[in-house]
Amino acid sequence: MRIIDIENLSFHYRAGTPVLEDITLHVDKGEWITILGHNGSGKSTLSKLLVGLLRAKKGTIKVGGLELSENTVYDIRKKIGIVFQNPDNQFVGVTVRDDIAFGLENLQIPRDTMIERIEQYARKVDMADYLNKEPHNLSGGQKQRVAIAGILAMETDIIIFDEATSMLDPKGRNTILSMMKQLNDEGVTVINITHDMKESLYGDRIVVLKNGKIIKDDKTDAVLKDQEILEKSNLEMLLPLRVLRLLESENVKDEKVRSYLWQLSLTG
Amino acid sequence: MKNIVIGRFVPGKGFLYRMDPRTKIIALVFLMASAFIIRDFTTMFVAVGLLVALLFVGRINIIRVFSGLRPLMYLLAFTFIFQLLFNTQGDLVASWELHYSPLNILAVTMLVVTWFFVRRRLPFKFFFFIATFVGVIALFATLRLGPAFATGTLNIHQNAIETGFFIVMRLLVIVTLSTILTLTTKPTDLNLGLESVMSPLKVFRIRTEEMAMIISISLRYIPTLLDEANKIMLAQASRGVDFSEGKFKDKIMQIVSLLVPMFIISFKRSDELANAMEARSFVPGQPRTRLHQLTWGFADTVALVVSLLVLTAVITSRVVM
Amino acid sequence: MAIKFNRVDFKYKGEGKKGYLALSNISLSIQGEGEFITLIGETGSGKTTLVQHMNALLVADSGSVDIYGIKVEKEAVKKKKIRLNPIRKKVGLVFQFPEYQLFEETVLKDITFGPKNFGVPEKDAVETAKSVIKIVGLDESYLERSPFNLSGGEKKRVSIAGILAMEPDILILDEPTSGLDPLGRNALLKVFFDIHQKLNKTVIIITHDMNTVYEYAKRVLVMRDSYLVYDGDPVNLFTSKNIENWNLDVPDVLDLTNKLERDLGISLKTRPRSASDLTKALEEVLR
Repeated sequence: MRIIDIENLSFHYRAGTPVLEDITLHVDKGEWITILGHNGSGKSTLSKLLVGLLRAKKGTIKVGGLELSENTVYDIRKKIGIVFQNPDNQFVGVTVRDDIAFGLENLQIPRDTMIERIEQYARKVDMADYLNKEPHNLSGGQKQRVAIAGILAMETDIIIFDEATSMLDPKGRNTILSMMKQLNDEGVTVINITHDMKESLYGDRIVVLKNGKIIKDDKTDAVLKDQEILEKSNLEMLLPLRVLRLLESENVKDEKVRSYLWQLSLTG
Repeated sequence: MKNIVIGRFVPGKGFLYRMDPRTKIIALVFLMASAFIIRDFTTMFVAVGLLVALLFVGRINIIRVFSGLRPLMYLLAFTFIFQLLFNTQGDLVASWELHYSPLNILAVTMLVVTWFFVRRRLPFKFFFFIATFVGVIALFATLRLGPAFATGTLNIHQNAIETGFFIVMRLLVIVTLSTILTLTTKPTDLNLGLESVMSPLKVFRIRTEEMAMIISISLRYIPTLLDEANKIMLAQASRGVDFSEGKFKDKIMQIVSLLVPMFIISFKRSDELANAMEARSFVPGQPRTRLHQLTWGFADTVALVVSLLVLTAVITSRVVM
Repeated sequence: MAIKFNRVDFKYKGEGKKGYLALSNISLSIQGEGEFITLIGETGSGKTTLVQHMNALLVADSGSVDIYGIKVEKEAVKKKKIRLNPIRKKVGLVFQFPEYQLFEETVLKDITFGPKNFGVPEKDAVETAKSVIKIVGLDESYLERSPFNLSGGEKKRVSIAGILAMEPDILILDEPTSGLDPLGRNALLKVFFDIHQKLNKTVIIITHDMNTVYEYAKRVLVMRDSYLVYDGDPVNLFTSKNIENWNLDVPDVLDLTNKLERDLGISLKTRPRSASDLTKALEEVLR
């Protein structure tokens, strides 16, 4: 079932310098798609357009069959949550509890339900022991988990992770990635925006953005096999594929090593 | 740097901690008003007695209250001295003749210089300051060293003492009361209480919820911004900026090198925060439910009645006397 | 020895008596030239605090830090018995976010700000700016631009140029590649490596990227809960069992080498530390 339909979407801040050009993209419910792109490829702009933080210059966005417009933007925001890059700049509450409550207060959820959900989702992201803590006593990874809980508590169907792991240390990044996986298994549609090819291994599908255009949109393994596209994307290929290409350019042909590296470059 | 808390809330037990912030705010207003109305010594002493009793019953850390008063001491001293010197109404209480002779001035200068050099090493700086001041007057009044080229008189009038006394006491009472409020109330609760108490202002189209949201976000970001300011200072210090030294021209450059990054980072921050808030369905001006609710207890009713009684009693005592 | 830590403790003061212990009993020495060091560890383990002691931005509570023969001690700093600026000129520290330091109208003014604070005449500072802007991989046309209209990667380069212009012997970079995409990161790492090799400076990089550590570092420092738990070469570090306890990832090259050796029975003659090394090692075996 379709949950997001983007048709011919274009956006620019200044006329003549397009940030996104003619983007057409469909996402199914329960899918995990990775949007891969270099810095400045327009990938974060796309996420802002999706929740109506920016307004498209051309094209349409439909979320759950509802077309995004000034009248529907508030309903659409109930369906999509975003975890942003900087953990510090999205923590609204004075404590963890207050921050998870923030979205619920906005949705005018009754207080009793609010208290239940805060407990429930704090437990889910493993932050139940930190409910009274203030943000400056938390690590980046913990703050991102609180942000996830805040979105889950609003019971949205789709979560966008907009470079949500890029400011975290390896431990923080790994917990957020495994959380994405768990949520996706439970039916949440995950859109992970990143420039790290390794993160794309987990998802079902990869969309490669370059200079504001989609240059590839296909199943994960199909994209990871497409050396030409990966070369063009200004991203770093996974190591096995890089080694494979280097070996090929040196004319080393060993079938066993070749097929092994090939397989690794699809599974990590 | 990370632990600076505005309002200096200090966790504790006492009954004041359990009280509704609205009660505390309203009671504070009543009691402050009382302090302004009191005009006679007896009532003032009773009021101060009650205040001290409140500190004890509420198990407030007295030392913290005093440390809150410390910066105020010099202001109070100057106010009092100003009154003594320049208020000439009422009966004459005391009068001294002051002798300005070169030797007297030398003696006074020596006293002041001694104070100036010794003060840094002394505890109770404030009392030494007062003692030195009194000493200066006393030297002029008592010493008769050599011929005086001029004389003056220091007259102290009754009203000077009274007005000075009341100004000082009122300020002390008001600051102590506010300190009690901020010591026993979490900033978030204080904010919630203020919002609730001010909500009648909605009649005048003042958006109290939004003001509360602004205060709440400020409370959230003050530690972050202080931390940021510290990092910027360190980053510029790495480039040879010495914030503790420099000529006036350098000082301006130093401040600019701190302020520009501070502004730019804060703008970026607030832009991102606004996006995050909007994405989580925040719409300014729309009704919201609230996680935090204030609960009014029996103690609150009692406290409010008591503070109202104090106010009434003070007003009556003034009307009667 | 350019920098020498001797049993250094440091605690951030906070509410309550506890505070936050950031450095415990740190002893280490760093040479004034020719070192390429990476400093790793979890968030909050004390990495940034450690490097801020290296140019006397912070001063040890106990123990001592010797920087170019100057003993930086609490009492001495408080009483202003030692001048800190000569230390900060020798040991340049680039903060994580370029936004912390950029403030002038033009890139040129921003780069010359440091040198001028250290008393370098305007004319010489401008000459230095012209040369350092090239070292960080930008051209002279950038000098007249505003530092605020640059991309994230460019801002970072300008902030590094601003420190390089002070002509320090030791260059310390706090998470210089975080937030950059792989191409931007690799290009910047190459800049650091060039500074190290061509100018023979000691470079110290704080990073979370184990691939950087494994490929470039000659020496690795690992911080954990305020302690320095490892000081040595990267190969020994990543082959030891501690990496799991310390929450460190295995570098990709090492991971792939291990897999190749385990699954295909290949045994390489060298320990490759980069993709091209690994290719060469495979070539040798397969040919």
